[in-house]
Amino acid sequence: MSEGYATENALVQEESDLYDRGLDAAIALTVVSFVLGMITLVKVVGLATSGGALTNFFVTLLAVVIGGVGVVGVFSWAGVIDITSQRVRGIALGGIVDLVVLTALVTVLDVTLATVLGLLLVAQAAIVALAGLASRFELVDTAPNMSAGLLAGGAFGALGLLVGAAVGGTLVGFDSMLWILVALAVGAGLLILTILPREDVGSTLPTALLVGLLGLVVATATIGVGWEWNPNALSGGFTGGAVIPTFVLFGSLLSNWAAAKCRAGFGAPGRQYGAFFVINLNAFMMVSVMATIVVFVTVKGIGYAFHGFTIGAPAALVVLLPLLVLAVNWARKPAGTDAWRTGARQLVRVLPLALVGSLAAVVASVSIRGSALTYPFTYTVQVNRQPKVLDTGISVTPDPTVGALLLTFSALLLFAYFGRAYGTLRGVGRDPSWVDTVKQGVALSVAAMAVLTVVFAVLSPSPFGLPLGGTVGLVVVVLGAVVAGGLSVAAVATPLRGGAGTSLGEGLHDYAQTVVIGLSGALALLTAVVFLEPTAGVNPSVGPADLVPIVALLTAVASVGVSVSAGHARRSAAELRRRVLGEEAVFGLATAAGALALLGVHVAATGANFTVVGLTVGTKGSFSWPMTMQSYVPLGAEPGGILPAIVGTVWLVVGATLFAVPLGVGAAVFLTEYAEQGAFTSLVEIATNALWSTPSVVFGLFGAAFLIPRLGGDRSLLAGMLVLGFMLLPLVLITSREAILAVPDEYRDASAALGVTKWETIRSVVLPAAMPGVITGVILGVGRIAGETAPLILVLGSTLNSSEPIAVLDGFTFTAAPPFVGNPALLAETASLPTQIWAVIAAGVSGSPSMGWATAFILLMVVLAFYAVGIVSRTFFRRKLNYE
Amino acid sequence: MSNTAADTEIDMDTDTETTTTTGESQEEVKAEWTDYDFAGQPKLSVENLNVWYGDDHALKDVSMDIPEESVTALIGPSGCGKSTYLRCLNRMNDRIKVANIDGSVELDGMEIYDTNTNLVELRKRVGMVFQAPNPFPKSIRDNISYGPRKHGDINKGFLARLLGQDDSDEEAELVERALKQAALWDEVSDRLDANALGLSGGQQQRLCIARCLATDPEVILMDEPASALDPIATAKIEDLIEDLAKDYTVVVVTHSMQQAARISDQTAVFLTGGELVEYDDTDKIFENPESQRVEDYITGKFG
Ligand SMILES: Nc1ncnc2c1ncn2[C@@H]1O[C@H](COP(=O)(O)OP(=O)(O)OP(=O)(O)O)[C@@H](O)[C@H]1O
Ligand SMILES: [Mg+2]
Repeated sequence: MSEGYATENALVQEESDLYDRGLDAAIALTVVSFVLGMITLVKVVGLATSGGALTNFFVTLLAVVIGGVGVVGVFSWAGVIDITSQRVRGIALGGIVDLVVLTALVTVLDVTLATVLGLLLVAQAAIVALAGLASRFELVDTAPNMSAGLLAGGAFGALGLLVGAAVGGTLVGFDSMLWILVALAVGAGLLILTILPREDVGSTLPTALLVGLLGLVVATATIGVGWEWNPNALSGGFTGGAVIPTFVLFGSLLSNWAAAKCRAGFGAPGRQYGAFFVINLNAFMMVSVMATIVVFVTVKGIGYAFHGFTIGAPAALVVLLPLLVLAVNWARKPAGTDAWRTGARQLVRVLPLALVGSLAAVVASVSIRGSALTYPFTYTVQVNRQPKVLDTGISVTPDPTVGALLLTFSALLLFAYFGRAYGTLRGVGRDPSWVDTVKQGVALSVAAMAVLTVVFAVLSPSPFGLPLGGTVGLVVVVLGAVVAGGLSVAAVATPLRGGAGTSLGEGLHDYAQTVVIGLSGALALLTAVVFLEPTAGVNPSVGPADLVPIVALLTAVASVGVSVSAGHARRSAAELRRRVLGEEAVFGLATAAGALALLGVHVAATGANFTVVGLTVGTKGSFSWPMTMQSYVPLGAEPGGILPAIVGTVWLVVGATLFAVPLGVGAAVFLTEYAEQGAFTSLVEIATNALWSTPSVVFGLFGAAFLIPRLGGDRSLLAGMLVLGFMLLPLVLITSREAILAVPDEYRDASAALGVTKWETIRSVVLPAAMPGVITGVILGVGRIAGETAPLILVLGSTLNSSEPIAVLDGFTFTAAPPFVGNPALLAETASLPTQIWAVIAAGVSGSPSMGWATAFILLMVVLAFYAVGIVSRTFFRRKLNYE
Repeated sequence: MSNTAADTEIDMDTDTETTTTTGESQEEVKAEWTDYDFAGQPKLSVENLNVWYGDDHALKDVSMDIPEESVTALIGPSGCGKSTYLRCLNRMNDRIKVANIDGSVELDGMEIYDTNTNLVELRKRVGMVFQAPNPFPKSIRDNISYGPRKHGDINKGFLARLLGQDDSDEEAELVERALKQAALWDEVSDRLDANALGLSGGQQQRLCIARCLATDPEVILMDEPASALDPIATAKIEDLIEDLAKDYTVVVVTHSMQQAARISDQTAVFLTGGELVEYDDTDKIFENPESQRVEDYITGKFG
């Protein structure tokens, strides 16, 4: 292994021998036990679990790993993603082998999880020691250094001191001073054992001793689940429940490091590989510790939050589709050039795919097998102050109905994704003049339909008693749909017909413009038709079939056809054509997604179900999530959900952002670009900082005393929005100002030298460059205000009894007299997630505590969703600013 | 300024050695050497221009007329005020807070330091290529079409398409023309939508030249436009400058004597301290300069 490696890349691709495979399996084993340590630390599974429950747990784990590795393997085999690293393969396969053996063991032996963990540590210690000795006696080819080094020596010495103190204290007691001697002896022993021998012994034997000791202590239940130690000096104590997972985490980190060093043959590559794992697992642990709070809330709340969650398999597939596309794309990205990282990065790249892929496979199997998949659980609610246990579950049913909104949303996501990936086909292919005519014709028709839509929307479908909607509208809709269908057929037919003797690829290339105009024209017309339909009050059908969804489906199928043939033709095409056809394939997919979205919009707008080959798109899909889709039912057996609170929080955040962002960014622009820098700007800066650190309850008091009397005298949503907006304002101002200041002056100079006005410069150069910073500020601020409770209690009310979600959009009323527009919904009291949690958990208002946890969990989800929106848009702007 | 005395001393030394100007006052000599008569109209005429950066007197009493449809080279040692002078011609120095400008600059007979001057219009007419390349963090295409779009010469986008006034074709033409002029087209024609920050330093410099040309100014100020370019690209830029001189007025700062000699019609020599020492036909400056200091500088004895 040591000789003749030219590059690190060659090294990771090198064929593995038995020793290597064994070590890969050992590394996998350490990772498995590390993960088990994390799992037991956050108490997802109890340490005392044994028997059937433990077997079940391991089978689940095995299934997850096999599913993930299997999906990745299939993709690798199909050449979608290329896994070249033998080490990644080795670790993946080793993980499966390890888990199979473990599952078999726990099935045969009747032991607790704690014992299993202890045995795992002992096994790791043995493997590490064997590997080190094999290297020492030159049974394998390695290149160890002279010593493991002082750093490792110091670390092991310190660990030895600790362990020695514990052992000494236990054996001879802390009363005599003898335990210090024991500690010193063990520490010095480990130090010497690390430093003096060659590196292979120095880094494996101390590890094996330590890990083995930890393992024995756990496996023999010297420190068992019920173990407890309460030192006199400390008020708290240590329990087995916390100590064992810590031992496992720690021991597996150590043996992981040693095994990785062995695997890379010691020396510099060994240090590199060992450090790589330790750093990664360490980072993983740090993140996990921080995530513990999230996990805690999740564990407490998720059961209740998902009670009665049901989704039909086709609907679930529709939801998974965008995720699957994103995961494939993520996995296809090159995993960096540094071969050492390539292996692990490939894993990181393919994990999402593995996850989504296996989920999709499970869901698809439900659809095919036709029997539902249910995960049942129980939870307790308070009914009339008495606890009552309810049975419920999460299930995936084979119901073939897909909700229109679900379809629309997913398809729109895909449309945006592919639409962005699609470049432009500028100047490609022939440009027969009729294409221009079609372009203009489509544009004019769309404009005309938009005008009609507005007319009908404002005046009703039959203005002044004339049945215009039923006559003009119907004709326009039918004509538009027919032309759209024709366009998508033409888009496919033209290149297929092609010239004599030309291949499909050449045909597509020559008629690229036609294809693009045809498909996008069809999409544009359909969009106009779909929006015209409900306002004109028509729903044309040909015989028993709906016209519009059929055309939408036709366009979708045609587009998929175009992309498939473009992708096919691409294989054999020349370089330029390759690029163009690639774009065409993506364009086709975008159009397909767009057409599917329109199908969903049509169904949602007309309320008519649409069925094709056993699948139904309906207004009510087979999707139900009581907690987020129903209102709270006081004192009911079925407690319902918290829809009003979710809607309230979303509106609060949206309103506050709409209020604070334009104001804050505007003020930042003024302060940085226009105002003379001096006393005034510093004063404003100090004031903003002070405002940002003002306690939120003060904002609440201000809102209650100042805003509410001016906003109708009652606590209201609008007052809540404004108060949160005031809280958000300083942060937006501070971060925007910083971001604008960070924009290099060169941009401003360059723009000024081109004769561009200051405002145009700010708008087109400065603000786009500052955008990521501004968005970061908004993200941070939204995180703060979304969970704000104190001011909301004062200005929004802490109601639990809003049984209806507040209807802000429908609430707008237009009048002929000033103020022309009003919205009673904005002035009404409503619920919000934080106040609801406060009411349920702290103030003990009716409802069970688990409902409070579930609400907290959902609040977390809502905040994360806002974060996701912010992070995606920030990435979007960053991409635009940087070359990628 | 504090080192005026020192300057005088150096001058005195030079003078006693060369004796060409013994007895004449500095002012008169300067007036004589820099009072350059050329055929044709002055596009820009600069009168007694002084610039201070705080207390630092960076440009001293410079007067020079720049003829139209020609190339004027500015040469001189680093820090002598060439860029400062150039920035005065389109009032970019106004953007430097500590800068204090005194004197007069006329463009086609109109005073640009008039309080009523519209700076935006002025800079449309007097374009500038900066010493350090400063492309916008936008695509190559957007960098070039930025000026014309903001001036309203090119309409693009959703609204333009809807109103049928989409100028994408004009834009494409403009981008191609400007990039070809700046000798960049061949390298970037297949990645016009890529971010300009991904270009190499030399490519960025040419992009900035192209961006300036795209707005079609009357006067083009170039601050060392070839400083980061290889000989081939430099030759192309030099050809471009000579070409531009047929229709435009070009003022170019350069550190390369050969370049100044090759491309310019007249040359102005600035020396340390911000004075314009000599201004004449390029041939005259390089073959037979009046001032000993200029000769020393050109032959490399004095920096
Ligand atoms: N923004 C500024 N603030 C303060 N002093 C400045 C500023 N710009 C230039 N100066 C000073 O003015 C003097 C002339 O600078 P200028 O940039 O005009 O020199 P230059 O002739 O262009 O030199 P180079 O050939 O190195 O580009 C220098 O002493 C410089 O330090
Ligand atoms: Mg300069």
